[in-house]
Amino acid sequence: MKMKKGKADLQALLFLLPFLAVYGLFTIWPMIKGVEMTFYKWTLIRKMSYIGWDHYREVLKDREVWAALWHSAIFVVFTTPTMVVLSITLALIANRRSVLQKFYRSIFFIPSVLSVAVASYLGLFVFQPYTGLLNSVMHWIGLLPGDQELFWLTETGLAWVAITVLTLWWTVGFNFILHLSAIQEIPEEIYDAAKLDGANDRQMFWKITLPYLGPITRTITMLQIIASFKVFMQIYIITGGGPLDQTRPIIQLIYQTGFKKNDLGYAATMSYLLFVVLLILSALQYWLNNRKGADVR
Amino acid sequence: MKWVYRIVSLFMAVVFAAPLVWMLVVSIKEEGMKIINVLDWFKPPYSFAVYDEILTGTKLSNWIINSLLVAVVVTLFTVLFAALAGFALSKLPFRYRTLTFFLILAGLLIPGEATIIPLYQVAKDMSLLNSYQGLIIPALASPVAVIVLKSFFDGIPADLLESVQIDGGGTWRIFSQVMLPLTKPALASMAILTFIGSWNNFLWPFLSITDDNLFTLPMGIPTLMSQYSEDYVKPMVINAISSIPIIILFVIFERQIVKGISMSGIKG
Repeated sequence: MKMKKGKADLQALLFLLPFLAVYGLFTIWPMIKGVEMTFYKWTLIRKMSYIGWDHYREVLKDREVWAALWHSAIFVVFTTPTMVVLSITLALIANRRSVLQKFYRSIFFIPSVLSVAVASYLGLFVFQPYTGLLNSVMHWIGLLPGDQELFWLTETGLAWVAITVLTLWWTVGFNFILHLSAIQEIPEEIYDAAKLDGANDRQMFWKITLPYLGPITRTITMLQIIASFKVFMQIYIITGGGPLDQTRPIIQLIYQTGFKKNDLGYAATMSYLLFVVLLILSALQYWLNNRKGADVR
Repeated sequence: MKWVYRIVSLFMAVVFAAPLVWMLVVSIKEEGMKIINVLDWFKPPYSFAVYDEILTGTKLSNWIINSLLVAVVVTLFTVLFAALAGFALSKLPFRYRTLTFFLILAGLLIPGEATIIPLYQVAKDMSLLNSYQGLIIPALASPVAVIVLKSFFDGIPADLLESVQIDGGGTWRIFSQVMLPLTKPALASMAILTFIGSWNNFLWPFLSITDDNLFTLPMGIPTLMSQYSEDYVKPMVINAISSIPIIILFVIFERQIVKGISMSGIKG
């Protein structure tokens, strides 16, 4: 748009002001304030004494912190590949011509609109031993002997399975839609040409569909890694971080340190550690997306 | 080969639907029924008595209203603020435009979870804890929304705006009567995604609210659930009441939601 410089400056300021005011006060200012907090003994009530770099020295050798970061990383490793495979599978199912096509498209997405609390409690009840849905169904169809129970919530390995399955069920919807719309954008002629050349379904999937889904899959993978690293509530409700803190993710530790142990200064220090990890992941994503030739879309 | 696809498809659909169907069926059972095998869950007698009890005897309906109120207000202002800012960044030739753009772009790298502890302190300093303002205001600045909307505004040709200017239209008129109508689908998608995000937001309400009259659904539910551990009927009624409104919204807006998500994928 053409206009005088001074006038443009003033108008732009007015247009930007509402956003920048909130952004400055509640995103930028806490970032700065947080740095101050890391250098103090700081409780829920007030700022206490200056302690210099103590929190930073402490956080680097704090076993609980590294264990929690490790649990968040485990969650990333469990959820990311499974998420991508499931999302593509569901997109293929919902893309096939079928009388149930509309139903498939809805049912795969509906769990994603549930509140995180509802999804987590449903998960909790499904995986409950003795009375839960999953064990009952397994007894019923004979997959599990009648006198045996699987303790999904209290055995570390099974607890991870339960948390992962619940998370996939609850969040795959968004990725499923991204994959589905990417599949629909593949030109029909390519498949026609392949059929003329005698290609079968499997060949077409590996040689056409999958390569075309490459760019969106790369984006989904990176976003999933970052999102999974920030997991908190599902785990908090389903296992409470247990057994024996074996599934406690970093955000839960930050919360407990700040609000249960009344140590906001140290919690803020942990937050910056998390921030650095996420920053590295984001930078990695930016680099992957902007590499030469990566942008086929 | 075809029937393999069909069976796999049906199986996945059943797995996805089962927890929801189970939730609804258990929610209309009478309390204290003996469950010996899976089929018992699905057998009558049915009853809506517990729905009544939960809706009148607990604060659940308050929390649903809180969640809706917060989500609606957050959605309206987030999209408005983002549209205003995105428009300025896209069309107004002001000084420091690039700098401002990068400042906002940098916000994409700052995860809310990483600043939540200092945010708590900042909100406390401003006496925003335990208030609707505290639930709403910190959520109103979404850098993602600004960047996405800016890229949509970028797609509107400059000639069009200049012809409005020649007709004597000011900047506000260009914004409200040309830009907003032309980018309606993008605005709607942003609104829907913001709404779902707010509806699901847990961490900030969890930290900033202690007064149970101000709870939103995600934090009210755990509080309520901790009181019922014996029977499944009450918890399932709570789950059902909490999810039915949002599922109805989904059914109504399914097309727009799906479009919104595909769009965010293309831009993001």
